[in-house]
Amino acid sequence: MKVPSITAPSNLNLDKKKGSAFLTAAKKYKLLYLMIFPGLVYFIIFKYLPMGGLVIAFQDYQPFLGITGSEWVGFKHFIRLFTEPTFMMLLRNTLILFALNIVIFFPLPIIVALMLNELKNRHLKSWIQTIIYIPHFMSWVIIVSITYVFMTLDGGLINEVIASMGFKKISFLTSPEWLRTIYIGQIIWKEIGWSTIIYLAAITVVDPQLYEAAEMDGAARLRKTWHVTLPAIRPVIITLLILKIGSTLDLGFEHMYLLLNSLNREVAEIFDTYIYTAGLKNGQLSFSTTVGMFKGVVGLILVMASNKLAKKMGEDGVY
Amino acid sequence: MKKRWVSMLACVTVLSTLLSACGGDKEAEKNAAVADENTPLEITWLNILHTASPPTETIKKLLEEYTNTKLTFNWVPDASKEERITTALASGELADIVTLTMMTNSSVRSSLKSGLFWDVSPYLDDYDNLSKIAPEIREAASIEGVLYGVPFQKNLARSGLIMRKDWLDKLGLPVPTTLDEVYEVARAFTEDDPDGNGVKDTTGFGDRSDLRYSSFKTLSSYFGTPNGWKVDESGKFIPEFDTPEYMETLNFSKKLYENGYLAQDFAVTAKTDQQQQFAQGKTGIYTGMVDISSLRTLSQDLQEGLELVPINKISNGDGKYHIWSEGSGVGGLMAFPKSEVKTEAELKRLLQFVNDLIDEEAFMLMTGGIEGTHYEYDENGAYKILDKELWQADVQPFSSSRPSEIAYTLKDANPEKQLANELIRENDQYAVFDPTVPLDSATNNEQGTELAKIITDATFKYIMGQATEDDFKKAVQTWKDSGGSKIAEEYEAAYKLTQK
Repeated sequence: MKVPSITAPSNLNLDKKKGSAFLTAAKKYKLLYLMIFPGLVYFIIFKYLPMGGLVIAFQDYQPFLGITGSEWVGFKHFIRLFTEPTFMMLLRNTLILFALNIVIFFPLPIIVALMLNELKNRHLKSWIQTIIYIPHFMSWVIIVSITYVFMTLDGGLINEVIASMGFKKISFLTSPEWLRTIYIGQIIWKEIGWSTIIYLAAITVVDPQLYEAAEMDGAARLRKTWHVTLPAIRPVIITLLILKIGSTLDLGFEHMYLLLNSLNREVAEIFDTYIYTAGLKNGQLSFSTTVGMFKGVVGLILVMASNKLAKKMGEDGVY
Repeated sequence: MKKRWVSMLACVTVLSTLLSACGGDKEAEKNAAVADENTPLEITWLNILHTASPPTETIKKLLEEYTNTKLTFNWVPDASKEERITTALASGELADIVTLTMMTNSSVRSSLKSGLFWDVSPYLDDYDNLSKIAPEIREAASIEGVLYGVPFQKNLARSGLIMRKDWLDKLGLPVPTTLDEVYEVARAFTEDDPDGNGVKDTTGFGDRSDLRYSSFKTLSSYFGTPNGWKVDESGKFIPEFDTPEYMETLNFSKKLYENGYLAQDFAVTAKTDQQQQFAQGKTGIYTGMVDISSLRTLSQDLQEGLELVPINKISNGDGKYHIWSEGSGVGGLMAFPKSEVKTEAELKRLLQFVNDLIDEEAFMLMTGGIEGTHYEYDENGAYKILDKELWQADVQPFSSSRPSEIAYTLKDANPEKQLANELIRENDQYAVFDPTVPLDSATNNEQGTELAKIITDATFKYIMGQATEDDFKKAVQTWKDSGGSKIAEEYEAAYKLTQK
């Protein structure tokens, strides 16, 4: 009987210690904790509170009646979403573009970073870097407009060149088969330079001794890249991949909305553009909330799955 | 996207609660102002802006003086009206007067039907100018027989073609009166080098990615296609794209496109680009007579010897003319939300204000500005703008806010513009109405805009040769199956009620 009576107070003590430990830590690092504060407030106000608005997905939401006054309709909007023929089209387009993003775009900055790393001429290296990351600062409106000017049938530069070589002009902008190429091409052009920065930073912290050791073992350049540099930046790659998957279905509303037209809709309409037209332009607030919620849930599942997978493979994951 | 929007919604909700909490004093003030006829009434007006920037204070001050009010405008750019108006309706961030132009938009319709706005029909006849609003206009502007605001009165049909008269003359072609002749002009403008520079660098028909306000709908009404819907003898509703005339228009446009007589990238061209192409002499036919003076302004210093001719009468060879009417002469509503306009007295004072805007003096302020500064009448009594830039800055934004555009007729000193104005008036005789304008369909309110995409896409594809007639028929069937038939039934039912 004595044992529990001894352990109980000691447990209490421990708890107290824990509490006071937090307090002392908070006191000690009060500046750091203060710095968390704005971020915390931001997330609460802009990310967590609005989640309450998701209830309108289960209502026939009428703004003037408000959430409390609107009629509850259960899963009506979900049923509509899953049974509408557009759903399969949206899912297919979104997933294909997502896959293109991961398979084609994701590895490119890594390759570019490795290549830049091999450049010994520092000036040339920084020059190339600057050139390729400038497009990141342009808005999609500008990039899509530039593409239009180059690719239009009525006097676009690319089509003029094609015509002058005796071939038939290609209607890039209105053919469904060109949409994905143009989409991923624009992303590569805009983002490749910017995305290399983080990999280049990761490469700089690789221990030079590892290279020296590899050299002693007779490794050539390619071998060193493969066996030293790449494994060294692997955690960074995995982390970025998981983060990328997290924003899975955020394919860039603005980008796609600008490319979308009546002729390429079958491949270009994605969840983002659909939510915009259904919700903001047509005022179907409940329905578009449903679509958005579905998108969010799929994204969450994908992140959790890929994080788990990464941990299984012995990596750290993001959380 | 979604996250951002939901957060926006939340913010707006929070804001509006805050605002309504501290709006008490203002309310009292307003009531006091209503009670006292001599103090200017404070009016807020959520209005659509059709120009690049809001107007200066000059005209506003004079209008305030004339109507004994104090005006605060909340301008919504036309390009973003869909998002802005729907969010304003959704958040209840409204004003005393709300300009609603998108009468077919589902959220506008549902908010009107939900009783958010005053029914003005019992009051109109108490005011000189408002009582003159024709019964047809009142009916067209109503939803299920209720008039939720003062209708903007416009000309019944404003559409028509504009052609390069100098090119026609150069090629020895007459001004076309039939569709075959229009086709011939498009061909000649493309192939016979109308600008005489020896290079084949012109396209007959300019167009843009809009089936309604650009060429397609106008051409289709020349073919005799019904406007929106056709009602047969038995009261059945048939959508316009399920008629042989629509198919004829499709084939006509397809032939133009295939032969290169129609701008090849029209499906991705914006209005400003279409106007630029015309102004630069790349195209020779433009749809939309109202734009005649802006086309001339744009082409200044670019096209020497430019002459324009507006055309309204084109027949399908049978000598009969038709032109589709936008909203049966209703350009939208000036609606008064019950959340802002609390009492009947306030409503009456606001109606008085709208009524005063139709008075000749206010009409001229909003049309031409100040006589002697912005405009003058020449020796023939024709109206002429003196300083275009000043007029654009001070007056132009108000011109589309006029409750009535048809109250007074001005003679324009610019002969092209004057002719276009006359032709628009002449269009009244040939106007084809959309029978569904005063009717309501729940399915259309909910899904109509989404469903319309099916037909729009199929139409573009057919014209550009990416779809066959079978594909188009299939699209029509898909439209019917996914809710179109239901819309037709609902319109039929609503129509029967009005016929009784």
